[in-house]
Amino acid sequence: MTTYTKPIPKINADSRPFWEGCKAHELRFQKCNKCGHVRWPPAIICPECHEEDTVWITAAGHGRVYTYIVYHIAYHPGFKGDLPYVVAIVELAEGPHMFTNIIGCNTDEVYCDMAVEVVWDDVTAELTLPKFKPV
Amino acid sequence: MMTMLMTLGQDEEAFGHFGATGSYALAARRAMHEFNTGPETWKHIAVGQRKWANLNPLAMTYKRTMSDDDYMNARWLVEPFRLFDNCLVSDGGRAYIVTTAERARDLKQHPVLIAGLGQHNPADFPQSATFLAGPTGAKVAGEAALRMADITRDDIDACQIYDCFTYTVDITLQDYGFFKPGENADWFQGGTIEPGGRMPVNTSGGQLSEAYFMGLTPITEGVMQLMGRCGERQLGPQTGTKEPENILCSDNGGILQCNTTIILRRA
Repeated sequence: MTTYTKPIPKINADSRPFWEGCKAHELRFQKCNKCGHVRWPPAIICPECHEEDTVWITAAGHGRVYTYIVYHIAYHPGFKGDLPYVVAIVELAEGPHMFTNIIGCNTDEVYCDMAVEVVWDDVTAELTLPKFKPV
Repeated sequence: MMTMLMTLGQDEEAFGHFGATGSYALAARRAMHEFNTGPETWKHIAVGQRKWANLNPLAMTYKRTMSDDDYMNARWLVEPFRLFDNCLVSDGGRAYIVTTAERARDLKQHPVLIAGLGQHNPADFPQSATFLAGPTGAKVAGEAALRMADITRDDIDACQIYDCFTYTVDITLQDYGFFKPGENADWFQGGTIEPGGRMPVNTSGGQLSEAYFMGLTPITEGVMQLMGRCGERQLGPQTGTKEPENILCSDNGGILQCNTTIILRRA
């Protein structure tokens, strides 16, 4: 078994349900039970109305590229072999924005507002990263 | 500082996202989409500021000229940012002294007055921001500073803009209202911010071409220009620019999450 050399998420009590969802290939977000705002990153209160009462929902996995960039330099040695690669903020249909990678196309084919859907990258037995590809 | 910049986020490192260059690039890319700015605008900022640095013996790039082609041919770091969209890495120090106008009258150096001050912090992290292409804090902070200084934008003779990246200058001047979204490349074209230009910007070379001293690069240059201590790059007849009465300086923090605007005036 090869060692995974990239940084792994700092999973805490707030974010654990999200990352456990990823292992099950489900995109789970917190939804405020008072105002309905769907948030990311996870937090103990709603950033819109400060309500604590929250339910976890499963997103359908569809969204659009809000913005994106192409890395031509590896600030961490684990990414040297991936250059050039795309980092994006994707806006899910349910509302939240999240950091991710756009894969499954050339770096020069990505554009703002491009429709994308989630694709699961099981990088280790313990960690699955939600990435996105063009629809 | 580096550790702070590299650990601002939580989970983005897992996707290979690190530091300020990438986060400002995300904002810049969204701006390219929303109002058609981009490298054709930013080259005027990188090249224009370098022309000022070439008049400043203290600048790290004093003896290194830059052409439009030099800018465009430089390697990508995090696209849409090329090498020369990024500020310099510097060791050094800057200081300015603040005292009352009454005490300053007796000092050896000609004083400069703080005529206006504004601050606005519409902070949201890049990941959750739905207005990543602005307006930044410069809009409200700039209006407040002009109001306090009791002048309008037309009374500003030069700007010293916090320039961690070329795009920071672009969006900050846009949010101050010097041009409308979409007019970016047109406004900078023809040497607007350069020696001889109608709105000199970052006349020391700025953080892109003089040295990176955070908010003190712009503010100390504003002070020095109004004191008349800038030698070959001095604003006025010798650089084909207006002799300055009011200079607008900006500082910016986080990923375009906060802005301070200060208007300096010749005493």
